[in-house]
Amino acid sequence: MRIQLALFASLSQYLPEADNGNRLSAHAQLIDLPDGSTVGQVIAALGLPDEPRIVFVNNRHAPESHVLQEGERLAVFPPVAGG
Amino acid sequence: MPVPHQHPTPLTEEYRNLRAQLGFKRVGIVGCGGLGSNAAWMLVRSGIGTLVLADHDLVEESNLHRQFFFRDQVGMPKTEALSINLTRIDPAVNLELFHEHVDEQNFATIFSEIDLFIEAVDTARDKAMLVAVCSEQLPGVPIISASGLAGYGSANDIITRHLMGDLWMIGDLVSEVSEEHPLFASRVCVAAGHEAHMAIRILLGYPEA
Repeated sequence: MRIQLALFASLSQYLPEADNGNRLSAHAQLIDLPDGSTVGQVIAALGLPDEPRIVFVNNRHAPESHVLQEGERLAVFPPVAGG
Repeated sequence: MPVPHQHPTPLTEEYRNLRAQLGFKRVGIVGCGGLGSNAAWMLVRSGIGTLVLADHDLVEESNLHRQFFFRDQVGMPKTEALSINLTRIDPAVNLELFHEHVDEQNFATIFSEIDLFIEAVDTARDKAMLVAVCSEQLPGVPIISASGLAGYGSANDIITRHLMGDLWMIGDLVSEVSEEHPLFASRVCVAAGHEAHMAIRILLGYPEA
């Protein structure tokens, strides 16, 4: 199963190594996953820090229990404090 | 003999039409601090018809260096003090005030029927929670959030990005508030201005950042 993964701001350093064909932009690339992978499993496998994050799948919020499907777009953004 | 006051550039019919459109819009804001209180006055001055404002805090003296409050309002609920100040700008603006903490339990009740949501809270955890809750409970409602506005870095690093879907993100994305990176009114208000202006653009049908 192949999905699009986007990691924004400080999280972009956690994008896995990719050949040029898989890299979509500075913060997004195609990744291959076992069928049935959840958002939480992907986040754990990437080693993302345990900090607040905004998680969208296909442009809407998704819980970490969401089971990813072929072609979906997983995006993770790490907000920082201040307001 | 005194000259009657005249607007330096007469209000055109197009400008009156744009303000008329905004007069029918409802904007929800959680957080009436540095971002929310300043974005609110910009939206009122731009002609937004209704603001739904939620904040559980009271005005403190330490807020006065960057938030739209005055010394004699210390101790008042921020929603109430902001209502007074916004009504002084435009007595006709509709304000719906909620002096309470907002979470997934009460979000949809407070913000039903809004046209756009502005996240204007302090902590990263609350920012993430509010974006998630709005996306889940009010699908299709544009969300404007802010991240990275502390310190005295260049104001030009604060920009508006259409991050994904219905989410626009304001800020430099990395400048977190800390002892080394305190909040300055100037930089906070740049971010608040971006939030208010992106709201105006979306509500007028121009969603490009």
